[in-house]
Amino acid sequence: MKLAVCIKRVPDMEGRFKIASSGTGIDEAGLKFDMSDFDGYAAEVAIQITEKLGAGEVTVISLGPDVVQETLRKALSMGAHRAVQLKHDAPVSDGLAIATALAAELKDGGYDLILCGRMAVDTQNRSTGAFVAELLGLPVITAISQLNVDGGVVKARRELEGAYELIECPLPAVVTIDEGIARARYPSLKGIMAAKKKPLEVKPAQVGAVTYQLEKMELPADRAAGRIIGEGKDAVPELVRLLKEEAKVL
Amino acid sequence: MTASNGLFALIVAVAAGFFASNVQRLVGYLRLGRLDDSRWDNVPRRLYNLATIGIFQRKIFRDGIAGPMHAAIFWGFCVLTVGTSEFIVRGIVPTFTLAHYLPQWAYRFYQNSQDLWGALVIGAVAFALWRRLTHRVKRLQGAETHANDPLLILSWIGLLMVTMFLAESFEMVAFPQHASPYYRPLSYALANVLSFVPQDWAAFFRSLNWWSHGLLVLGFLNYLPYSKHLHVVASLPNVYLSNTSGPGQAGVMKYMDLEAETEQFGAKDVEHLSWKSLLDGFACTECGRCTAVCPANTTGKLLSPRKIIVNVRERLEQRALELQTAGSGRETAEGRPLLDGFISEQELWACTTCRACVQECPVSIDQLSVILEMRRNLVLGESRFPEEVMPAFESMEQRGSPWAFDPGERGKWADGLDIPTMAELAERGETADILYFVGCMGSFDDRAKKTTVAFAKIMKAAGVNFAILGREEKCNGDPARRMGNEYLYQMLARENVDTLAKYHVRTIVTACPHCMHQLGNEYPQFGGHYDVIHHSTFIAHLLAQGRVPLREELHAAVSTFTYHDSCYLGRYNQIYDAPRETLKRALPVVHLVEMPRSGDRGLCCGAGGGRMWMEESEGKRINAERAEEALATGAQAVAVACPFCMTMMRDSISSRDESVPVYDIAEVVAERLG
Repeated sequence: MKLAVCIKRVPDMEGRFKIASSGTGIDEAGLKFDMSDFDGYAAEVAIQITEKLGAGEVTVISLGPDVVQETLRKALSMGAHRAVQLKHDAPVSDGLAIATALAAELKDGGYDLILCGRMAVDTQNRSTGAFVAELLGLPVITAISQLNVDGGVVKARRELEGAYELIECPLPAVVTIDEGIARARYPSLKGIMAAKKKPLEVKPAQVGAVTYQLEKMELPADRAAGRIIGEGKDAVPELVRLLKEEAKVL
Repeated sequence: MTASNGLFALIVAVAAGFFASNVQRLVGYLRLGRLDDSRWDNVPRRLYNLATIGIFQRKIFRDGIAGPMHAAIFWGFCVLTVGTSEFIVRGIVPTFTLAHYLPQWAYRFYQNSQDLWGALVIGAVAFALWRRLTHRVKRLQGAETHANDPLLILSWIGLLMVTMFLAESFEMVAFPQHASPYYRPLSYALANVLSFVPQDWAAFFRSLNWWSHGLLVLGFLNYLPYSKHLHVVASLPNVYLSNTSGPGQAGVMKYMDLEAETEQFGAKDVEHLSWKSLLDGFACTECGRCTAVCPANTTGKLLSPRKIIVNVRERLEQRALELQTAGSGRETAEGRPLLDGFISEQELWACTTCRACVQECPVSIDQLSVILEMRRNLVLGESRFPEEVMPAFESMEQRGSPWAFDPGERGKWADGLDIPTMAELAERGETADILYFVGCMGSFDDRAKKTTVAFAKIMKAAGVNFAILGREEKCNGDPARRMGNEYLYQMLARENVDTLAKYHVRTIVTACPHCMHQLGNEYPQFGGHYDVIHHSTFIAHLLAQGRVPLREELHAAVSTFTYHDSCYLGRYNQIYDAPRETLKRALPVVHLVEMPRSGDRGLCCGAGGGRMWMEESEGKRINAERAEEALATGAQAVAVACPFCMTMMRDSISSRDESVPVYDIAEVVAERLG
């Protein structure tokens, strides 16, 4: 069984973000980067499938500049078998343009199952996985929380508000992975050493035509500090006045 | 030479040969372990350890009852071995006697010593048997112990002594011309009691006891290799070869070559342990002093340091046969490896690395190194660890701190305090005498930040020229290393060493004993050599020099303090007095009360060895046990000198008695700054 996992390198969400001077992206200085959480779950799921079968191959693919090789190596150290970097140095925010490049790579790979994270934790567009499926003409099940591959059929579960859906479709197919399905494993030193010897191919990315441009990125305004206007019932008239005049909620 | 001498000579030869082959077998087992060449250096220090811990039984005496008892048997054994040697040679060559080689006074002294120590050994053995049979001494219990072995051994030693006395006494009865009260007074007295026995009968009883004694000696020798009493042979070499009391810094974990061509990182089975850890198995006599002081074990957790060592020997004896017969066509059935087969993951993760077990072991066994090597295998080899630890690992890797704080905010506590970073000074072409390495808790934890600020204020008041690293500082890596993640540890250590090299740092102060131990004792493995001073020592020093302006205060709000020892300050770095000294100097009117377990017997707070990041659902919480001990002293406040201890003690004390505050010693001093 051949599996492909699309992964994205994203900044550590605990970091403190600043807007870059271009105004359309973040300032990457001082930020730490790692695999997007959902992509980590996807890689874990794929690796577990091959481990259970005792056969198969997991290919991890990432689009971006050479720094994404670090993220690919991490997936290899978790247990993926080979990696492909679709080299592209300029940032792309258009999900369709990215999906076009991924689909071009995936098209002739003979993959039975393609896994993506439900979304990238930084940009949260939720579009790339579905676009890839559409471009390849494959069925897609999005945001799945359970997965079972058996006899050429993929069965998946999706969580809804207070309910769930069970969906199945034939392979080959695309699935996007929600949380709760598996925790990305912590790579062992054995895995890290083995990853150094695994193949990592670098290919130019065939990024599609850009359909939209990111115009401007802004940080939300700092929330003003809370104010204590007094204690007990004496403070009520002032509170009411402020709610009317300043907050304008009454 | 008579036929009887010939027979005895034959028996001695067979016994010696059998013993030698067993020793050779056991030494062969040690060779299955990994190479460890750190055991042959610093001969004077090793001889010193051998003399104090081995011969003078320094650690044995830490138990006031078993100590003198064991010392009597051990010293008796040493003294009587001379007599036994003479006995064996005489058994073969009847004309031999030490009297020919010694001046009369020395020979007489020697003969007296045999009698006196023989009696002492009988007394000690009788006491030991009585104690074992009538008192269920807690530390001597445990599923891993061989409970009948000590009874057999003690009886055996007792019989050795009894037969020695009877042989001597009957000889005096049978041959009154040999009797003299000046050589063997006790045997002489016994001979007087036995004088009613006819001479020819006495000669027979003399022979009977002589042969019994001889056979018991040789049998004893050959029983040792199969018994926990192998410690008779193995413990003195073990004390000499051990590094737990120096040479080198106590508690330093071994460097691990991560680039080595190996599939096996850390220890999964006995052959992955150092040969010295295997020797530990031979030296252990299951006295249980380690387990009795283990904070995990005494609060109801499965971990028992004694069991770890007993398991090493058990598995080694099994594994050695497997390895020796492999490929021979007569393979021994494969047993399960040390990990999972004998020692569970649960046991290994319960360890706080407090070093109490190592401190207590009378024969310098290093239980911790087995635990830590096995943790290394779990994490590096198998990626097996409690899942709650994962965020800490990831955060250390991503953000240089086990907590998910923004690394950019590391120096934020210093805002408005006018404390420069090394980078700022370098930009101005300046430098500082001292680097204050704040550590992650001191930088990010709200409670620990108060200590950080207090210490900084003290240094400023004393006019110390210091700076911090700010955002360039990273976790020292101690949690990662103690949790077995050597890869992550080395990454952090190397980054810190590079940063410190950039600013030519020589002298470092820190309020965190874990930072101190890493920077001072373990970073030399990466080429980082610094003078690292813990804030307790540094403040005590500043106070002694009168450099800290303190307000006069004759009526302190708190009049009794108890001080909780940090393991990494105390047992790892032998700093017990400085924090107490600091408290006394800062608060001359205050009374310092000690907990029952203090100093090098101090009970861990429960946070070391990465336990800070793990759940503690098994048994009683360690910090609860310690809080109760602290509150039982009646002290009005508890002082600590470690941010980890602070968190653990504060959590557990505040939930029991909110009126008892926990202070860092720096806060106590800063409170009185004039």
